[in-house]
Amino acid sequence: MNVLVTSLNDYTIVSIEGRIDTTNANEFEKSIMDVIEGGSVRIILDCSGLNYISSSGLRVFLIALKKMKASKGIYRLCNLQPVIKGIFDVAGFSSIFSIFPNLQRALEG
Amino acid sequence: MDKVLWVDNQIAELTRVEAFLEELGEEWALSMPLIFSLNLVLEEALTNIISYGYDDEDKHTIEIDFKKTDGKLFISIIDDGHLYDPTLKEEPDITISAEERPIGGLGIFLIKKVMDKVEYQRKENKNYLMLTKNIES
Repeated sequence: MNVLVTSLNDYTIVSIEGRIDTTNANEFEKSIMDVIEGGSVRIILDCSGLNYISSSGLRVFLIALKKMKASKGIYRLCNLQPVIKGIFDVAGFSSIFSIFPNLQRALEG
Repeated sequence: MDKVLWVDNQIAELTRVEAFLEELGEEWALSMPLIFSLNLVLEEALTNIISYGYDDEDKHTIEIDFKKTDGKLFISIIDDGHLYDPTLKEEPDITISAEERPIGGLGIFLIKKVMDKVEYQRKENKNYLMLTKNIES
């Protein structure tokens, strides 16, 4: 897994590549918490390179969502591959996250 | 067609499961979404067994049997950990708001949702978790 953090138009873009599973979910949690605790209030997770996720990874997505909701920040997801979107649907996550088809739409909100 | 994979009770073994499924997918011509589903289901089940199944620090072997017939794929996961019947676990409420959602507790639920049948047996001090997935033959 690789996490790349960039800035674009006042948004912090977190691009995730590879797999998030039980072996590396802690590492992912640290990366995303660093971004949130670093003061980013407008975060977009670009999931175009995310090709596998298990409940360990979903857990981190939810923790970050709760933090961002508590601080009234913006927290959006975009570019979910169909298999990832499928798991979000099954887990009931699609209804609680703001999910956009691509980065441009996510930036527009 | 039958295959068996043995893994130790170590989280690092999940990497080997992933590699095994890649190979199995090629050999049995399984679709990418199906391999994804099987990987997810095995990871959830094994993570539970490895994290909560044992009190001791000893090495334990977990057996995973794969069988494919026309239209069905069967997986049995056999471990010598504590008696644990995941089919009895209460399903989480996935309709409540983000604020109310508990952190975690989705693993078993995902297994039940992704597979078409989930059965459990305790035999000779071992847990047998038997999973069936309907596939296009």
